[in-house]
Amino acid sequence: MRKLIEFIRSIYVAVLFVVLEAAAIGYYAHSSSYTQARLLARSNQVVGGVHGLFAGIRRYLFLGRENRDLAQRVARLEEQLAQYQEAETAARLDSYLQNIGESRYRFATASVVGNTLNRVQNLVTLNRGRKDGIEEEMAVLAPDGSMVGYVIACTERYSVAMSVLNTSFRTSGKIADSDYSGSIYWDGVDPNTVILGELSKYADPQPGQEVVTAGLSEYFPADVLIGWVESAELNETKTSYTVRVRLAAEMSRLNEVILVADRDRYEIRELQQSEQVEQHTRLN
Amino acid sequence: MYRTIPYIGLFVAAVLLQVFLFDNLSISIYLNPLVYIIFIALLPLDAQPVTLLGSGLLLGMTMDFAMGAAGINTVATLPVAFFRPQLAAMICGRENVREGGIPSPGRLGTRKFFLYLSTLTLLHHAIFFLLEALSWSHLFHTVLRILLSSAVSVAFGWIIVRIFTAKLPVRV
Repeated sequence: MRKLIEFIRSIYVAVLFVVLEAAAIGYYAHSSSYTQARLLARSNQVVGGVHGLFAGIRRYLFLGRENRDLAQRVARLEEQLAQYQEAETAARLDSYLQNIGESRYRFATASVVGNTLNRVQNLVTLNRGRKDGIEEEMAVLAPDGSMVGYVIACTERYSVAMSVLNTSFRTSGKIADSDYSGSIYWDGVDPNTVILGELSKYADPQPGQEVVTAGLSEYFPADVLIGWVESAELNETKTSYTVRVRLAAEMSRLNEVILVADRDRYEIRELQQSEQVEQHTRLN
Repeated sequence: MYRTIPYIGLFVAAVLLQVFLFDNLSISIYLNPLVYIIFIALLPLDAQPVTLLGSGLLLGMTMDFAMGAAGINTVATLPVAFFRPQLAAMICGRENVREGGIPSPGRLGTRKFFLYLSTLTLLHHAIFFLLEALSWSHLFHTVLRILLSSAVSVAFGWIIVRIFTAKLPVRV
C-alpha cells in the first residue's frame, strides 16, 4: 500500500500533466469559433477598455494618413462624378437634337460654363469649341428654342457667345405672323426684357404677342422665338414703335444651349460680296 | 518558493505585454510571437514540477482567456512546463538545476541559456502553431511561422530576461 502511494507520488505530476493536457486538448477540440467568440467577448469585458484605449491611440496616430486617404478618395470620386455628369450632360444635350433632321442648319449642343447677367456687355461661355464643330456666328438658342445670342469667338474646346443681354447685340425681329420687322437690342436695364425698336407704326403690337427673329439677320434662322410683347409705345415722331419684349429664354437659368450654324451663310455672304454684286451696287 | 512577488510581477507583465503589445504586432502572418512563455522559462531552476505545472496551467488559461483562444495556449504551455526540468537538466547540466536559482545568461552561460530559451520557445511555438493549423497541407508555412515567430519571441524574451535579472546578484 505504501509502495503504491509512493509510486503515485513519484508520478503524480506526470498524471496531473496528462490529465490537464487531455482536458485542454479536449476543450480545444470541442471548441468552435462560437466558443472562441464567446470567450473573447467575455475577456473583452476585462481587457476591452485597455484595448479600446490602445485602439484610440493608434487611430489618433493614423488620423493623418486616414485623412489623406479620404481626401484622395474624395478627389477620385469627384473626378468620377464629374465624368458621369459630363456624360449625362452630353446625353441630354444630344437628346435635344433627336427631332431635328438634316436641313440648311447644322445643330450642335453645349453646356454653359460661364454666364454673366450683371454687366452691360454680357457674354456666355460654352464648353464646346472648334473641335466639336462650333464656329463663329453660330446662333445660340436655349433648350426650348428661344434666342440667347450668337458665338463670337472660338477656341479648340471652348467658345464664347454674345448674350442677347449685351448692348452690342443686334439682330432683326418681328411680330409673329406679320411682316413688319424691327431691330432687337438690349438697353442694358432689365435682364428680362429686350427692345424691339424701329417697328413700323402699322404693326400694331399687342401685349402677349410673340416676337420672333425675322430671318434677315445673318445669325439666326427665321422664326426663332425671342419673347412676348410686354408693352409698346410710339416714338415722338409717331413713325415707329419701340416695343419692350419679355425674353423667352431664362438667361439666369441657362445651363445648356443649342447652337445653330447656317450651312448656306458663307455661301450667301460670298455671293453678296462677290464682284458682280459689287459692280452692280457701284453702278447704281 | 522564494521571490514570489517578482514572479507575480513577471507574470502580469508577460500577460499584459502579450495581450496589448505582441498580439497587436500584426506585421505579417509569419510573425506571431508568443513572448509570454518567458515566464515559464524564468521560473527557478529548482522549482517543484507541480509548481511548474500549476504555473503553466495558470499562464495558459490566462492567455486563453485574454486572447479568446479556447485552450490552445494551455495545450501549448503545459508540455513546456512539464518537460522543463528534463530539458533544463539536459541542456544546462544537472548540477546547475540542482543548484537552483533563476535561469539567466549570467548563471548558465550565454550559450547554454540561449539554447535553453530557444528550445522551450520552439517547443511551445511548434505545439501552438501546429495545433492552430491542424493540417499538414501547409506544413512549410507552419514551419516558417514557427521558426520566425520563435526567433522574434526569443529576441524579445532575451530583453525581458535582461530586465528581470538585471538588478539581481548572480547568486540569490
